[in-house]
Amino acid sequence: MSKQIQFKGASEMPEISISRGHMDWNKTGAWRTQRPFYEDKTAPCNAACPAGNDIVSFIQKINQGDVEGAWSLIQEENPFPGVCGRVCFHPCESKCNRGQFDEPIAIHALERFVADFASQRSKKVEKISTQGKEKIAIIGSGPAGMSCAYHLARLHYPVTVFESQTLAGGMLRMGIPSYRLPKDVLDREISNITSLGVAVRTGVPIGEKIQVEALNDYQAVFIATGAHLSRGLKIPGEKGRGILSGLDLLKKINLTGKAKVGERVAIIGGGNTAMDVARSVIRLRKKATILYRRSTEEMPAFEEEIVEALEEGVKIRYLVNPIGIKEKNGLKRLECLRMELGEKDESGRRKPEPIPNSNFFIEADSIIVAAGEEIETSFLPKGIGKREGIVLTQMDGRTAIEGIFAGGDVATTQRTVAYAIGSGKKAAMAIDCYLRSKNSEEAIRQILIGDGPSLSIFRYLNPGERPRNSHIVDFEELNMDYFEPSKRQGEEKRPLRERKKGFGEVTSTLTKEAALREGERCFSCGTCNECENCYIFCPDASILMREGKIFHQVDYDFCKGCGVCFVECPRRAISLEEEAR
Amino acid sequence: MKKVITGNQAVAYGAILSRVDVVSAYPITPQTTIVEELSELIASGRLRTKFLKVESEHSAMAALIGASTGGVRCFTATSSHGLAYMHEMLHWASGARLPIVMVNVNRAIGPPWNIWSDQSDSLSQRDTGWIQLYCENNQEVLDTILQAFRIAEWGKLPVMVVLDAFVLSHTSEAVEIPPLEEVDQFLPPYLQEYAIDTREPMTFSVITTPEYFLEFRYKIQKAMEEVPQIAKKVDEEFKSRFGRGYGAIERYGKEGAEVLLMTSGTVTSTSRIVIQKLAEKGVSVAGIKIKRFRPFPSEEIYEAIRGAKKLAVIDRNLSAGVGGIFAQELRASLYSREERPPVFGFISGLGGRDITPELIEESIRYTREHPRPEEEILWLGLKR
Repeated sequence: MSKQIQFKGASEMPEISISRGHMDWNKTGAWRTQRPFYEDKTAPCNAACPAGNDIVSFIQKINQGDVEGAWSLIQEENPFPGVCGRVCFHPCESKCNRGQFDEPIAIHALERFVADFASQRSKKVEKISTQGKEKIAIIGSGPAGMSCAYHLARLHYPVTVFESQTLAGGMLRMGIPSYRLPKDVLDREISNITSLGVAVRTGVPIGEKIQVEALNDYQAVFIATGAHLSRGLKIPGEKGRGILSGLDLLKKINLTGKAKVGERVAIIGGGNTAMDVARSVIRLRKKATILYRRSTEEMPAFEEEIVEALEEGVKIRYLVNPIGIKEKNGLKRLECLRMELGEKDESGRRKPEPIPNSNFFIEADSIIVAAGEEIETSFLPKGIGKREGIVLTQMDGRTAIEGIFAGGDVATTQRTVAYAIGSGKKAAMAIDCYLRSKNSEEAIRQILIGDGPSLSIFRYLNPGERPRNSHIVDFEELNMDYFEPSKRQGEEKRPLRERKKGFGEVTSTLTKEAALREGERCFSCGTCNECENCYIFCPDASILMREGKIFHQVDYDFCKGCGVCFVECPRRAISLEEEAR
Repeated sequence: MKKVITGNQAVAYGAILSRVDVVSAYPITPQTTIVEELSELIASGRLRTKFLKVESEHSAMAALIGASTGGVRCFTATSSHGLAYMHEMLHWASGARLPIVMVNVNRAIGPPWNIWSDQSDSLSQRDTGWIQLYCENNQEVLDTILQAFRIAEWGKLPVMVVLDAFVLSHTSEAVEIPPLEEVDQFLPPYLQEYAIDTREPMTFSVITTPEYFLEFRYKIQKAMEEVPQIAKKVDEEFKSRFGRGYGAIERYGKEGAEVLLMTSGTVTSTSRIVIQKLAEKGVSVAGIKIKRFRPFPSEEIYEAIRGAKKLAVIDRNLSAGVGGIFAQELRASLYSREERPPVFGFISGLGGRDITPELIEESIRYTREHPRPEEEILWLGLKR
């Protein structure tokens, strides 16, 4: 403490009492009973992303104006942002906390923006050295196979992908029409993967010239052959001429840009394949009618797909079940039964039951069956183990045969692109663990996002970096005082008339301005975005800054633990715990 | 440039012309439009002033105490319950010798709930060490704010500028707006002797033992005693520059009048008319307007009343158990004097009731007709 000055009287004294000493000695932090600390938590979008994208972080990068940084962040987890931004069913958006406030963030649109923006700047990945590590074979070049190849290459393994078709991409190339996913977007992202050093051998069907068992050169094999066999209707007349499977039609159009179908096309099924087929038929200037045995509620196709199909003139007849196909003078007559919905079945949907004697006929020139897909099993090595039509795997993708892993559609009934990408990533880690004799299940548990099953390979590669509590921040934990309603930025759609003319892309990428506006809407749940509320509100000036930025540390010498920072943080990036006594 | 503006707009003009650095205020009727005017100007970027939003008047004053300690010019406005809520901080501002200027729009304090004019709010704060200046019209409001900053920064004491609710705050009058360049000449930028400087940390208003506390209070009293001289010089300079001066008090009407009527605020304007009318009829009455309440202008008043037989005071306030506060202050200031004419203490117009020409005339008649007041408190217009 400073020395005291003695005054003889008022005339010597200053106007006010001033001490040249200070109060630094009085460490008021000692009064604290609870302690605030910075701790990033998990956003619900991130936990909901099957591909494990760090959504909050990449949106923050957009908001900072660093779109290429955003691209690099997505690439940490997922080599297909251009694909996912277009075709993913975005479960992230259904979980977005902003949905409880006004409308969820258009995450898919932002991801697409980032991917397209990065490609404009010719954002390329560089070749990675793969010397001295074990060789790995991947069967199938769809999203699961290529995701696995990508991450294995980043782990420095030499990878060869075997593809039966002449072009890589699997279902992304064969099954998805180019008005949803243009081929150049797919080519660009596949070439990013091959430029890492991944070899793709196309036109090599495993099981014909080469058997899985013959891949002895390779220390591990990942089977990602997908599910591309059409599940039949098992009704009389199904094998007749002019009756095609939905996937076969899509493949033909995707490879040649055209296909022959009759004037009136009946499409049987209610999934995304049925929608893709119907909308492709419209683009071939033919009439498309979808026949579905349940009602619109139970339809497995994504809502946006259904809406766009109806806009384009696709007719959907619900509660109709074909029971036989007859042909007369090239005209097909589809005998159907009317259905009604009964009790819920094991899928949670109401079971359709036929109404007796309700038989009627629908006439069509072509019939396309799109009632689900099954996996090809003929090439699978003996003893691999199957159950309910899929290859049986452990949590990490291991099959019953040592060194053989499986993922994507062949090993699940959750047949989405994002899931396939996630399972390829998980298999890459599991293969690394297997070859390095590490416990893969333990490793996976360490890097789960939220409660899983999504996981972060970034954390596997960089343990301890960007730590994040697995707690998923829910809406109630956010402070809504700091947000105002704002409109979700939608993607522009091409006019209906133009859409129907060909296979050009329906929606367009957000402009930079729209993307920035949309990015600004993000609550950044659980992740500090330097809003400085803590700094502004702290009554003890105990929020430390370094070079003008929040330093994410609290000055515990003086923090009295009032908790204002914790309450005023709009996004729960600060935690509060009781002080150890 | 002349503009027709309300008293509250005159307040805002005063603050703008004074180039205040920081405004912090909390809205309360009838002060609200002052804060609206200033905050809108600041939000639009036309006024380069920092506006601190706060959750109470207590915080508004606390914020200004901090800002003023930092060496910048600070302004706020409040009224009634808002002023009462600030009470603790008012002592702090004066004790810390901070030249904050605050406008108080005179309003009654509830209950019963009342939003109209009454001086009980500002006079309740008479012992907080603030200079208090009362205004009669909108021009005086604007001019007084400009003078207040000069006085405050010179005397190192905070100043409260007071105007009547609605009668001034929400009533428009023609007001001469002095040019900014002229005001800049009159009111130079504020320089603080003990401003906060992070390079040389200090602790302000630290605990002071009984050994020195008395001396600090003595210094505040001495500072208050210097205010009449400072205010006089400021007023003279203002008058030479802008042509308008106000003094601590203003004696008006004919010389040598037997009865003098003392008022403050807008009642003075009504009194001027009544007194002129009576004087024309040969009644020996003149008026005194009291502008400065703190420090109380004892000398100026004594000079002005010499030779008068009786003093009448109309108080628009009540210190229950004693009476009108102006009358009490006047009695106290005369006690040690040679000439001590009787003081007739009238109370009228509480809670915004009009003090009509008839009531003023009644007070003068009573004073003339009685050698001494029959009661300590003489109620004007009371419905018994």
